[in-house]
Amino acid sequence: MAERYAISKVNVPEGAAVPELVKMKMEKEEKLAEEKKQALAAKQKAREEERAKLKERTVAYEKEYADTAAELVKLRREAKLNGNFFVEPEAKLIFVVRIAGIMKMSPKPRKVLQLLRLKQLHNGVFLKVNKPILNMLKLVQPYVTYGYPSLKTVRELIYKRGFGKVSKQRIPLSSNDIISDALGKHGIHGMEDIIHEIYTVGPNFKQVSNFLWPFKLSSPKGGFVNKRHGYCEARGGDWGNREELINELLGRMN
Amino acid sequence: MATARPVVSIYNFENPSEKTGTMPMPVVLQSPLRPDLVREVHRDMAKNKRQAYAVKPKAGYDTAAESWCTGRAVARIPRAPGGGTHRAGQAAFGNQARGGGMFNPTTIWRRWHRRVNVTKKRHAVACALAASALPPLVMARGHKINQVAELPLVVSDGIQSLTKTKQAKEALKKLGCGEELQKVIDSKSIRAGQGKARNRRYVKRLGPLVIYNEDNGITRAMRNIPGVECAHVDRLNLLRLAPGGSFGRFVIFTEGAFKKLSDIYGTLKSGAPKKKGYTLPRAAMANADLARIINSTEVQSVLRPKMERYTHGIKRNALKSKELMEELNPGSTERRAVHLKSSQKGTPEYDEVQKKKKARIEESKKYNKEHKKGDETFYKTLMKAFEAKAAADAAKKAAEKADDEEDEE
Repeated sequence: MAERYAISKVNVPEGAAVPELVKMKMEKEEKLAEEKKQALAAKQKAREEERAKLKERTVAYEKEYADTAAELVKLRREAKLNGNFFVEPEAKLIFVVRIAGIMKMSPKPRKVLQLLRLKQLHNGVFLKVNKPILNMLKLVQPYVTYGYPSLKTVRELIYKRGFGKVSKQRIPLSSNDIISDALGKHGIHGMEDIIHEIYTVGPNFKQVSNFLWPFKLSSPKGGFVNKRHGYCEARGGDWGNREELINELLGRMN
Repeated sequence: MATARPVVSIYNFENPSEKTGTMPMPVVLQSPLRPDLVREVHRDMAKNKRQAYAVKPKAGYDTAAESWCTGRAVARIPRAPGGGTHRAGQAAFGNQARGGGMFNPTTIWRRWHRRVNVTKKRHAVACALAASALPPLVMARGHKINQVAELPLVVSDGIQSLTKTKQAKEALKKLGCGEELQKVIDSKSIRAGQGKARNRRYVKRLGPLVIYNEDNGITRAMRNIPGVECAHVDRLNLLRLAPGGSFGRFVIFTEGAFKKLSDIYGTLKSGAPKKKGYTLPRAAMANADLARIINSTEVQSVLRPKMERYTHGIKRNALKSKELMEELNPGSTERRAVHLKSSQKGTPEYDEVQKKKKARIEESKKYNKEHKKGDETFYKTLMKAFEAKAAADAAKKAAEKADDEEDEE
């Protein structure tokens, strides 16, 4: 907190008689400036330590992502080799985007969309895959499109459109300090920590996802196919679960 | 303002350059300044001298007019009855009709006067008196007081006995009011507006107000000097002390009047002896010097230090800005450089990548050799099925041909 002291400089003209109150003010400001300097030095030191740790963690995460991907490849190959079937792991993470506007929305889907924090057109949120969430999505199917985002998508969304909820305000994630202050107690101190927690749906997914303000995406370049119909319909459409193909859409919306 | 009361000099009316004595300033003249109060009380008090005006009660309705109703190809407004004159059949009564009454006729029972609480009136007078003791306020009101020795201007009691206007004028001039009196004379002009035809032809500025205690001729002496007004100290009028609602009238006190102010108004502790149940107004703040209060040790010692505001600046995109990416993801530039190097020939990173590639290809070849040879490969098993079908077709054809030949034979 001492780093943010606002020190005001008092301009005293040469050889002028300094009033008592001004003298007192100058002394006080000096003392505060000293405290501020010390706090800044301590903060700088802490910051460097924190950054070193974050760097290590990031390298570990990248290795983790590569390893999990390689593991899946290995298992698929093994299954084929043995003539077995490899059951792909079910997705843990979904990204939901609101497709419908706000006019003429029935109460139940409207409430569910509010609960999912999808209050505006083209708002997106990360959700954990579990029974309650899937049931909620069933209620709002015609108004959203969702799927399983890839690591690249997750990274790009968070870096480009990541905003955090800091004392009820939408603050851009322009510095790791913001993240550290909000999520430090859950062991998340930087962008890569957030990305890891989201992508791997860690134990603090709820807190991280809630910290992230709902993503405000652009309308997709190249357009939707047909928002009135479902993605899986033969005639082509947009709402509902489009599994991996959400990444293509998000690439155009981000 | 609990400071020692300043002392006011009394000037000899005959020879104003000499002072005949001094007097402490009465507490009234140190009342808190309340321009809003004075304005409000003046506004209401000034309404009390109004005379009613209104249109005649029957104005516009002194006809036996009646509407002709429908069916006669005329508007339904009431029309004057009878015949033989232009007036007959003409519209009447409405505000739109010629000779009709006005809309919402003015009435004499309009509430012309306002009552003001006595205490309020007294406070306003005290306030106006206080303002008259402050040169900046008096100058702001427009009085020319540059030559006046002191404010409040207190003159010895001899001035109350003047009988001749000439003498009075001399006395005032000697006191430094020459410029003020001249200003009044110069300002006489014809009133703008209808007032000039209603016995209010001329307007001029106001000059000094002389407040006396005993009238031994002073009123009559001062009466004809343009701009000068006189008032007895027992009967001070806000409409004189704050003309137009703006306080700071140039006031000249006589010694007796000045002394009597303390007798009339008293002090904050004693109350006003001559005004029952009245005490002079108190200031809302004892110390109105905000800067001093804020900067005092008592206040500063309990304040937390002033903080810089959080500024978040414009959001930049880390995917585009390398600096921002490094800030958010420490070590990313390094890793990226390594990654880029690995596509440049000759670097150890490049060699590393090539080595891995080679190993991968080797591995693949080994795998293929092991698992994709002989009759068990996918291709071979697929072709086997075709071959089987081809053989079956050939056999069928041969059988058909044999049958045909048999048939032929």
